[in-house]
Amino acid sequence: MATLEEDPLAPYYFQQEEQLICGQLVSPITDCYNAMMNYPSMVDRFFTRYYYIKAGAAYQLLYHSNRICLVCLAPTHPAYGEGIAKVSYNVGNVDRSQNVVKGKAKKGGMILQADTTLAVLTTDAGNTYKIPSCIRGKLVEVNTALLADAKQLQLAPEGAGYFAILLPKIENCDDIKASLLTQQQYEEQLKRGET
Amino acid sequence: MKNQALIDYLAACGVCRVCQLRYLKARGNEYRDMQQTFKRLDVEVSPSAEAQDTPDEQPPKKPRFSICSTCLGLFSEEFQTQLIEGILKSDFANYDSEGIVLAISLPMTLQLRQLSMWFALQRQFGRSAIDDNCPPDVPIKEAVKLILHPIVCARLGKAYDANGLMINIDVRHSVEAAEVAKLAELNRAAFPAKAAHQKRIEISRGLLEKQYQPARIKAELFEKYLPIPPTAVEDALQLQAIELTGPLICVAGRYRKLSRELSHTPWVLHGKRIMEESIEEIIVRHVGPHFSETLEKITFMSSGREDVDVRCLGKGRPFVLEIANARRSSMTRQQAHQMEQAVDRTGKVSIHNLQVVPREQLTHIKTGEEQKRKYYRALCVLEQPVTLDILQKLQISASFDIQQKTPIRVLHRRPLHTRPRTIFSVKTRVFRDNPRLLIIDVVSQAGTYIKELVHGEFGRTTPSISSIIGKPIDILALDVVGIDLDWPADVNNAETE
Repeated sequence: MATLEEDPLAPYYFQQEEQLICGQLVSPITDCYNAMMNYPSMVDRFFTRYYYIKAGAAYQLLYHSNRICLVCLAPTHPAYGEGIAKVSYNVGNVDRSQNVVKGKAKKGGMILQADTTLAVLTTDAGNTYKIPSCIRGKLVEVNTALLADAKQLQLAPEGAGYFAILLPKIENCDDIKASLLTQQQYEEQLKRGET
Repeated sequence: MKNQALIDYLAACGVCRVCQLRYLKARGNEYRDMQQTFKRLDVEVSPSAEAQDTPDEQPPKKPRFSICSTCLGLFSEEFQTQLIEGILKSDFANYDSEGIVLAISLPMTLQLRQLSMWFALQRQFGRSAIDDNCPPDVPIKEAVKLILHPIVCARLGKAYDANGLMINIDVRHSVEAAEVAKLAELNRAAFPAKAAHQKRIEISRGLLEKQYQPARIKAELFEKYLPIPPTAVEDALQLQAIELTGPLICVAGRYRKLSRELSHTPWVLHGKRIMEESIEEIIVRHVGPHFSETLEKITFMSSGREDVDVRCLGKGRPFVLEIANARRSSMTRQQAHQMEQAVDRTGKVSIHNLQVVPREQLTHIKTGEEQKRKYYRALCVLEQPVTLDILQKLQISASFDIQQKTPIRVLHRRPLHTRPRTIFSVKTRVFRDNPRLLIIDVVSQAGTYIKELVHGEFGRTTPSISSIIGKPIDILALDVVGIDLDWPADVNNAETE
């Protein structure tokens, strides 16, 4: 130790209490951390990233291993550059924030097609973007937090700026995945400068 | 109506002594010393009949009158002897239950005969003396409890216990088929409207009990199909089968789980096992065989459950095994200790406080689930080393409420709800060797999803540990360290008495 300066974190250092179970000392929970291991993020652990292009703008789909999907903006979406002003789920004929689902089967959820407008995003530059549903499926939940404060979309960590949660039918999953761009295909498109 | 007249009439109809007493509405132990009961009720019995029912000597019986026309010999000594022999010949010795209960399935003709005698008594003594709705006798079912139960219990050296070993006795009689056929005809005639309405009317004991009383059916109609009073029979009741059903035994304890690769119950996906073992199987395998041979019929219940990758430490989680048809109803402390040690040797699960508990106590585990407090320890990781400010923000001693949406990881199979949950306290420590690692102790209301409480799941749990510090935080590991349920009681099975 180079200095004897008082460590401000000292009162908060973790101390394992001893306990014997099955005749063995219980290992401290900190043993679960492996410094050599690269911990994938929550999105990396449970989701696969897919992309959908509409009107030259890219949207990101987080596909959970249990087929639940989150619809987000792709990091290259032009709205980020223009500054996000407002998000509305009122798409003209229907207000998607009024969506109600019941029970395990999510009865009553709106049925959406891939190019159905899910929400409308207005930028500080005054442009409006119709956010597509990206997949065929049932609307389970919309992110109402975006209604009150659309600006948070700008800073939100990956996934937190989701517009909605959709549930596709099991039998449609293969077709849906085939219709979307994979992470690799999306990156190749970026390189070619198509989006 | 005098008792004497009643008894004389019944005797003339070939009704046995026990059933005569039934018609005098005798209770409980009045059946034990029948002579005395008759005397007390001022009834004289003919000496020959008296001799017949003295238990010490068994004179040869006249075949004609020996079988009672109302109970078909159910209460005769021969039947009792036959019954006891039958029980002893069954698997009876393999059950250690202190208490027994008889479940006798009787032919319906006994009910028909009761009704027939009811009509006969009304004719003999008038409808004012014999009520239309209330049967004149102590019903056979009740009489079985009053008469047969004490005798069988005494002969087998067991006590009566409604929750004890159930002895299922199937009794048949040769006239049953013919008389039930008559009853079916009678039923069509007596309730034609109903018969037309329904395609098939099941003639059942329940139907007999409900519909067949003098208040609902005329004696004249009844007599067209079946005789009044009931006629004598040639054969006695036949003991068809005896089956034993052991009592339902509940074995409680607490379990702890050391493995992060062990599911709660067998985990099967698309017909394939994901994991070889489960907590349920390990416990059932070591505790079950003492009580039952059919392990697959044992039900495992616990006060909540943890995820596959979560350990359960501290005092452990209360659980119960419900063992139906148990051969043994108890275990010694020493046996319990051996089971505990056997489970411990797996190195994955540990059980203690193992004990047999009364069934009523299961309510502890089943109710008030939402009220229970649960104690957790989470290992969390920040993107940057922790600051004093973050540590201070995560020392929370006052309880607060959160709103938690159904986590995405289970949303595909559970309804979407926003659940309010109370967090009672949060205490945070930092790992000395790595200041990005936090050890967070959380006390929460049962049913809180802790992993989501930590990272906030894209804002679907608010507030969350992440939203409180305003930074992303992820969870690497979780332990359950306490479950707020003081049941079952502490027992130290290792202690030898």
